[in-house]
Amino acid sequence: MPLRGIRTSTAARNGAGAFILQCKRLDFHYCNWAGSSKGMVTFLEKHLPAFARENPQIEIRVSPRPQKHPLIKGLYINGREKPVCVRNLEPHEILKKAILLKEASGEKLKRVKKPVTSLNESVRGIWSPYHGDLRGV
Amino acid sequence: MFSRSALRGLASEVRWTAPSTISSAAPLQQRACLHQSASLMNSQPQSQSASSHPESPLSATPRAQDTQPKTRVKAPTFDETIMTPQTRAHVPIAKQPVAPTFTSPLEVTKSLMSQLPHLAGQKPHYIVAQLHARPYLLTEGDHIRLPFLMPKVKAGDILRFNRASALGSRDFTMKGSPTIDERIYECRVRVTGVDAEPLRIKEKTKRRQRHVKQAKSKHRYTLMRVMDVRVKTPDELLAEGAVIVDDAADSSVIEPRS
Repeated sequence: MPLRGIRTSTAARNGAGAFILQCKRLDFHYCNWAGSSKGMVTFLEKHLPAFARENPQIEIRVSPRPQKHPLIKGLYINGREKPVCVRNLEPHEILKKAILLKEASGEKLKRVKKPVTSLNESVRGIWSPYHGDLRGV
Repeated sequence: MFSRSALRGLASEVRWTAPSTISSAAPLQQRACLHQSASLMNSQPQSQSASSHPESPLSATPRAQDTQPKTRVKAPTFDETIMTPQTRAHVPIAKQPVAPTFTSPLEVTKSLMSQLPHLAGQKPHYIVAQLHARPYLLTEGDHIRLPFLMPKVKAGDILRFNRASALGSRDFTMKGSPTIDERIYECRVRVTGVDAEPLRIKEKTKRRQRHVKQAKSKHRYTLMRVMDVRVKTPDELLAEGAVIVDDAADSSVIEPRS
């Protein structure tokens, strides 16, 4: 009996039915002493509670990282992570970075030329020279 | 028989009362993204069954612009300061998307009406949707990365593409002139997020100069997923108030495959 792999019955198409945000966790790191964390500390006090309330599906962790620049790290369902350094940024700029991490898909950035990617078979089928009517040129 | 204005008043009353019943589900915020479609489904039948007049967003009946009362402020149960909207039920009525209003009922030619069952009955369908004058050939479940960042949309939003130049199945194609009336089909698309391209660096030089300038660009793009592509059957069109007219030269036609 040969070993048989598990066959997948469906392909994941997030959003076609239910929609799950790909970002599952955001880690906020800051330093209490360093000046580059000044904006980050204000952000954590002023903006983060509202941001966390708006996005209940994202786990949010805040932890100090002494003697280092402040950092936001996003963790995604596909297992990848995306760190963004936010040194010397203003709180509203940090909020923009947090929103960027929230809406990102977690995939590696790629240059894509075609706008539409489809898993479906061609609706009209593949053209065959042996079928159909003859057409005048 | 009610007059249309009386029904409209009744429907708007029902729409006003609907969010208060749904906001009792507010403690379930944790799984809001999963519950979004479910609460939508719960909310709509309530309003429809009570009004006995289905107010579907793409109904073909002519409705005036004053469908929604503008003088009212907002739903009393909704508190903007505490809760940010997660589902459509949380959005104040005044800010909810307005269903498109049409000045005249949908006009379908006799020949189109006779051929439409063939197209509607043959699945799957494809649609050539036009967005900023660019065609996108879409089927259900397709992933779209628009070549631009769409403003004012968030992940999880649902859009309807209402400009289609062609609509078809395996053997039939319906071509618009230049577009098909949006009341014949339904193409819903969900925004799934924002993507970026890798940073591109282009070196800019001038002649006889050592200086090299680096021009950087990193564009962002909106990601989407096609939720459904559906052609309405003649019965649905007639139920929504479509009018059958004689054939004209510039009307949409369904062409069988040759």
